[in-house]
Amino acid sequence: MSPAPAGEAVLDLAAVRASDAPRVGPKMARLGQLASAGWRVPDGYAVTADALEGWLPPAALAELHQLFSAPTAGAAVAAGPEFGRHQRLTQLSEQARRLIEGQTLPSWLADAVADAHARLAARTGRGALLRVAVRSSAVGEDGHAASFAGQYETYLGVSGADEVLRHIAKCWASGYSAHALDYRRRFGGSSPLRAHDLAVGVLELVDARSAGVAFTLDPVTGDRGRLVVEANWGLGESVVSGQVTPDYWTVERDSGRILERRVGAKLVWSVLAGTGAAETGNADDGGDGDDGDSAVEVGAEGANRSGTVLAPLPAELAQSPCLTDDEVRYICRQAAAIEEAEGTPQDVEWAIARDLDVPDSVYFLQHRPETTWASATPAAPPPGTPPASAPAPAPAKSFDPVQYALRNVFKVPGT
Amino acid sequence: MAVSADPPRVFPVDDFVREELYPGYRQAFGSQPFVAGPVRPFSPADNERYWLRDSLHFSEGMVPASIATLDDAQTWGAQLGAEIVGVPPTRGSVNRLAGTHVYIGTIDVDTQWQVQARAARFGQYVSPILADFDSYWSMRAAELIAAYEHFDHLNLAAMSPGELWAAVKDAYAFHRRAWFIHFEVMYVLTANYLAFYALAEEIGLSGSQVSSFLSGRPTFYSRTDEELWRLAGLARSLGVDAALTSGSTADMRSRVLALPHGAAWVAEFDSFLGVYGQRTEETCRIDTPSWIEDPSPALYCIGTFLTKPAGFDFHAARAAAVSERDAQIDAARRSLNGSDLTRFNEALASNQAANFAWWNEEHNYLIDRRAAIPIRRATLELGARLTDAGRISRPDDMFYLFKPELFEVMESGDEGRWAELAAMIPDRRAYFEHWRERGPSLPTMLGTIPDTVPDPIMIEVFGLSGHFLETLRGGSGGGSGAEIRGFPAAKGVAEGIARVITTVTDLYTVQPGEILVCGGTTTEWTPAFGIILACVCDTGGSLTHAAIVSREYGIPCVVGTAVATTMIKTGDRVRVDGRAGTVQVLA
Repeated sequence: MSPAPAGEAVLDLAAVRASDAPRVGPKMARLGQLASAGWRVPDGYAVTADALEGWLPPAALAELHQLFSAPTAGAAVAAGPEFGRHQRLTQLSEQARRLIEGQTLPSWLADAVADAHARLAARTGRGALLRVAVRSSAVGEDGHAASFAGQYETYLGVSGADEVLRHIAKCWASGYSAHALDYRRRFGGSSPLRAHDLAVGVLELVDARSAGVAFTLDPVTGDRGRLVVEANWGLGESVVSGQVTPDYWTVERDSGRILERRVGAKLVWSVLAGTGAAETGNADDGGDGDDGDSAVEVGAEGANRSGTVLAPLPAELAQSPCLTDDEVRYICRQAAAIEEAEGTPQDVEWAIARDLDVPDSVYFLQHRPETTWASATPAAPPPGTPPASAPAPAPAKSFDPVQYALRNVFKVPGT
Repeated sequence: MAVSADPPRVFPVDDFVREELYPGYRQAFGSQPFVAGPVRPFSPADNERYWLRDSLHFSEGMVPASIATLDDAQTWGAQLGAEIVGVPPTRGSVNRLAGTHVYIGTIDVDTQWQVQARAARFGQYVSPILADFDSYWSMRAAELIAAYEHFDHLNLAAMSPGELWAAVKDAYAFHRRAWFIHFEVMYVLTANYLAFYALAEEIGLSGSQVSSFLSGRPTFYSRTDEELWRLAGLARSLGVDAALTSGSTADMRSRVLALPHGAAWVAEFDSFLGVYGQRTEETCRIDTPSWIEDPSPALYCIGTFLTKPAGFDFHAARAAAVSERDAQIDAARRSLNGSDLTRFNEALASNQAANFAWWNEEHNYLIDRRAAIPIRRATLELGARLTDAGRISRPDDMFYLFKPELFEVMESGDEGRWAELAAMIPDRRAYFEHWRERGPSLPTMLGTIPDTVPDPIMIEVFGLSGHFLETLRGGSGGGSGAEIRGFPAAKGVAEGIARVITTVTDLYTVQPGEILVCGGTTTEWTPAFGIILACVCDTGGSLTHAAIVSREYGIPCVVGTAVATTMIKTGDRVRVDGRAGTVQVLA
């Protein structure tokens, strides 16, 4: 068993700040920062990357080592095109994941998680009914780590400290998916054994009546004078993964006036499947947070593996907007405030708890810099995108690095 | 239609070989097959321009074969990159050799029409790349990685002579391509960075802060360091640390293997090398081995880390650097409002997405320290066969042939030529050694020291600031007790004993707790930052390796002093103030 690290193994979210990103990953760090600044976020705790560093017992590590040093494994993880490799990679992945998922976490870590979980159950007042999301939170900000972080999975609807521990091991093991092994093979980032720098976030699952995303600029035109909200009934996964045409609002930034509202063709919604721990194939977002929970269902077996299933939406809900105007305006005000704190346009994910009234019902789940418009020029809307009522042209950026460099760095006359 | 005989296949050129062209025509009237100018020895005309000793990239001199790789890289690659990107004031860098040592100069664009025409196409080329830098760099990185997958897996020993020669030619072709990519990306990113720098100055911040705003993003090298610290910790846990802190690195592996848990540690170390070992110690030098061939540098680092009793808390330092960066960004934002704040945020976002401070480290793994390894491997295999055939005395004799000589003898099949070439090799080896010894005494700058350098890239990467140039001209005083001024690269104050190092091979003499004084540092020096108290360099600006790494490790650093290695002696007690950018020699 690995010894306990010097620092805290588990941090309550209330203690997490932006500067903890190297310990808990940028996703959890941002959430902690948001909480400390007074935003309503799901309560939870983070298991640090340090605590998980080297948690695998030596015997398991040796077995893993053996698995990857077998000749067939060598060929599967080696570079170069080769017929049949994918199949071997899949087998190898399954063996590795089974091996890791079968390990128990060190007792000092299990104790720390059990304590934190009990504190969370008490704080939320849910006791044994507490259900959580166990989220991989990859540490590291570079492009490769961010892309690699996308291989880790997130598990929704987990109950009880023992199940949380089991899912922490599963998060870790998800770094050995066939996809992840193939990614590592192609980019040579690290050996199969030196897999990852992973922290895990455990967050109260918001029992969402409605959920979705707010953009602090118009994602189609880049207009920063307006904000856009997209939402559906139920959990946010149906919106984030693009599986419905969501309800849609545009709001004028300065006045808070709702400029446009459109009820989407919401045929389905995301709900938790059954009870107990259910799993989604949700890819964790990058360490840099630029692609977000893509919440892609895991292929054909999604229905029985996934904790969120897409169920037909009852007809009376399908025809009605899933947010009130007050909720839309409140979400936009808060998203604009997050943008102001971050300094750049943001995508903000939020959920509205079933049993509370606005504004106490609105939880902020995560946010990340808006990247499409970071430096792009306006593009035609993708096919099927409904036209905005009066699309304003994107305002010229105040700062163009190329023009500025020509004028002030290279000092080219006349620029 | 019936064909009665094979049509003729050769239409002889002989008649035209004998004909003369216009009266007075000379071969030189054909255009030169080079972008702006190849590597050359110095000539008298070079007195009119400035030439900076590039000890930053090439501290120990070039063997004959490496002159071709230098030509591909800092000369041809830089010039083609500047041409294609359309950098307005410069046509890139150009190199001269003093003996075996490399000096760098720049070629200014000297007419206004060309400056304007370049400015016009510069925007067209750079803007789309900056708009989606991640995709663009991923594409270039994937191209390089695909080439390494090809070259690293060639079974050279099993190749026929024809296949092996083709592999040598492929390796050279790839090397050139890699260096074009290097400078294409570099010029695009420096424009973005320098715009942010100039904006910061305009809105009342200090340009020197800009690289701090962009720090903290992990690179391949910070991951290498992290792994080396991990391997040091593992050595302690497994009880093999004593074998790693004593004796020569040459037999370290076998001494570790003899210990009870030695095999486990060596297996981890080898797996580390498999990922991180495809690197040499210097750029373009095909005479230097990769870590996989000779892991001494990695073993030295681990041994040095083990001399620190508590170990260096890599994660804590990284977290501190990131939170320091965020605090600096916050402070900058608080000092701004209105359109200044908007422009700051946009420039920051543009630079976070296309981050030169990060790329400047990261790319070394894919280009500078790796691109010549395929040439080295194929050349050594060819050298082994030529040794067996009695053409040369030992495989590494190959490094003492100029590339055109090698290509000529291989392509012509002129067996007699080998005897002539082999006869020159001992004298060439002696020449290299002679110049290696003279290296530390060569001047920092040759030719005419200018008042200012018009190429802003040279200022930020090599540190050719007005102060630097003035110091070189002798405008500011020296003498014991004097204060040396430079660029404030990383804040903090430290006092300690100086260790003056002029080549990376002497890095292994640096002791924990000393203050490193050197010409400039590169990637290979990074592990030393975990044990030193402060760093002082002759060259460098805000984008210099030493500046970036010092901030990551949280130690004070002053760069661009021009004279630190001449004014400070090993053993001197010095005080470094990284915020003020000063170094005092106390005794």
